[in-house]
Amino acid sequence: MLAVIKKELKSYLLTPIGYIFIGAFLGIFSLFFYITIFNSGIFNFEYLFLNGTTIATFIIPVLTMRMFSEERKSVTDQLLLTSPRSIVSIVLGKFISGMIILTITELLTLIYFFILKYFGKPSLEIAISTLVGFFLLCLVYTSLGMFVSSMTENQIIAVFVTVVIFLMFWFLPQALQSLLPQILPESILSPVLAFLDVFSFVYMFENFVVGTVYVKDIIAFISFAVLFILLTIISLQRRKSVK
Amino acid sequence: MIEVKNVTKKYGDFYAVRNINFEVKDGEIVGFLGRNGAGKTTTMNMITGFIEATEGEIIVDGYNVDIKPKKVKKEIGYMPEGTPLYPELTVKEFVTYMAELKLVPRKERKKAVEEAIKSTGLEVVQNNLTRNLSRGYKQRVSMAGAIVGNPKILILDEPTVGLDPTQVVEIRELIKSFRKDHTVLISSHILSEISQICEKVIIIDKGEIVAVDTTKHLEKNTSDNTVLNVIVDDIGNKFESLKEEIAEIQEIKLIKENAEDKTKEYEVKTSSSEDIRKQIFSCCAKNEITILEMKKQEASLEDAFIKLVEDRPEYTQKEIKKMQYEKELEELREEEKIKKQERDDKKQAKKEEKARKKAEKEAKKDKGGEE
Repeated sequence: MLAVIKKELKSYLLTPIGYIFIGAFLGIFSLFFYITIFNSGIFNFEYLFLNGTTIATFIIPVLTMRMFSEERKSVTDQLLLTSPRSIVSIVLGKFISGMIILTITELLTLIYFFILKYFGKPSLEIAISTLVGFFLLCLVYTSLGMFVSSMTENQIIAVFVTVVIFLMFWFLPQALQSLLPQILPESILSPVLAFLDVFSFVYMFENFVVGTVYVKDIIAFISFAVLFILLTIISLQRRKSVK
Repeated sequence: MIEVKNVTKKYGDFYAVRNINFEVKDGEIVGFLGRNGAGKTTTMNMITGFIEATEGEIIVDGYNVDIKPKKVKKEIGYMPEGTPLYPELTVKEFVTYMAELKLVPRKERKKAVEEAIKSTGLEVVQNNLTRNLSRGYKQRVSMAGAIVGNPKILILDEPTVGLDPTQVVEIRELIKSFRKDHTVLISSHILSEISQICEKVIIIDKGEIVAVDTTKHLEKNTSDNTVLNVIVDDIGNKFESLKEEIAEIQEIKLIKENAEDKTKEYEVKTSSSEDIRKQIFSCCAKNEITILEMKKQEASLEDAFIKLVEDRPEYTQKEIKKMQYEKELEELREEEKIKKQERDDKKQAKKEEKARKKAEKEAKKDKGGEE
């Protein structure tokens, strides 16, 4: 696994993709920083991260698109899959290296915290809970992006499908929550809505932003990440017999 | 050692490889020969565990690929078709990554990488990015990735395709140097290459094994008649009349007439594999024909290949299905026959039992009557 992580990090940092990712993320983040501070006059670090979800939705797929699609396209997946390394360690290696890049980016956003601290009094506790929440959100997004990437050799399709799925997870539960009360009877409405809550990653993340950390949210995020990692492993395993 | 037993690979209804069997023994260099799309790469991908066989089993070094993939993959160095490389890595980084993937222990890794780079002649470019290398070098990098860590078995998929003649010779020499301590399976559709490197050849066509034999044996078996090329100075135009004098000659064909020195080149086909050069020589001397050159045409692996492959009927999917259906039908009929036989046997036994009982009864009756 370590070999894969090392190689993946090298690939991120030797090709423009890693820099484009970090640069684009921080660039857009700065833009939102400027807009919120100067237009709305809000000096909240955590409030900035509400825009972070928008950025993550469109930028994380750029990071995950190449994970398996590129290997498949350039046939280097043959090198990986004919090596004695297990598929699990290959998938985990790729996932962890992606998370390392994301974590570096996330930690770099602390710059904004210190800028705000210079001018005002942002809460450190809420900032930490926000960063933890964002990390968990990235965990799910990265694993989902990786899963999509393992199913196609076309990176453009990988990005597109990943963004669509992210948007679906973002807006579909919200849309259903406003729609369902009109259709479903009172008795089954509340369990259905509670069930929908589980799929609303952005909604769960918003709990962290206001400073409330629920164990159920943490468990939900981690379970979804594990689920998508498992799906990636299954998808690669299946290709062996179908291909 | 590689054993491939009754292996089939199906994609939907299409058979990429159908019921193939062969064996590669330790220390052998075996050529895997076939036209494009014959199933070479599919077979190699199955041996290396990249794809799974639909049916049958593959055993490498005593381990089944499906059951103990890690053990098998550790023993195999695979050079895939098309030399896939990571363009962002340097040659050394790439070979090191391959060594890491192949679980070469940390202590030996540096040495193993250096050895692989040295034996493939990549020292000069070891710090260059693989994307900037020429095709020949790329091929070598791919080969270095396969041999790093000294795996027992090397599987090389078309290692010389797309190289210029000098590079081909270099790669060929490199493969020959592996002979000492590796088992090598090398695929190609270039016959001269195989006949130069390999002792044994497996010929595959349309997903089926056509022949497994030594190259020499294959070449020899191809020709049931001998063909001679003779260049003569024959002013009296009497050479063609030799056919009447020597019974073994089947055909004499004029190939070329050289206007300058008035020599003629003939092709002489004989009906037997016996050498008739002596007879031709003495007959020519008798007829005052001067022989300038006489040469036996050697059958090449190419001829063997063409003969083996071209005579094969082309089955469509429909026909294969029909054949299978007929086979199944035949089996069913056979089963039915056996069942019927059993039923008949039972009936017969019952009849006999009845007859026996009747006889016994009658015997008793008779006895009673007598009493």
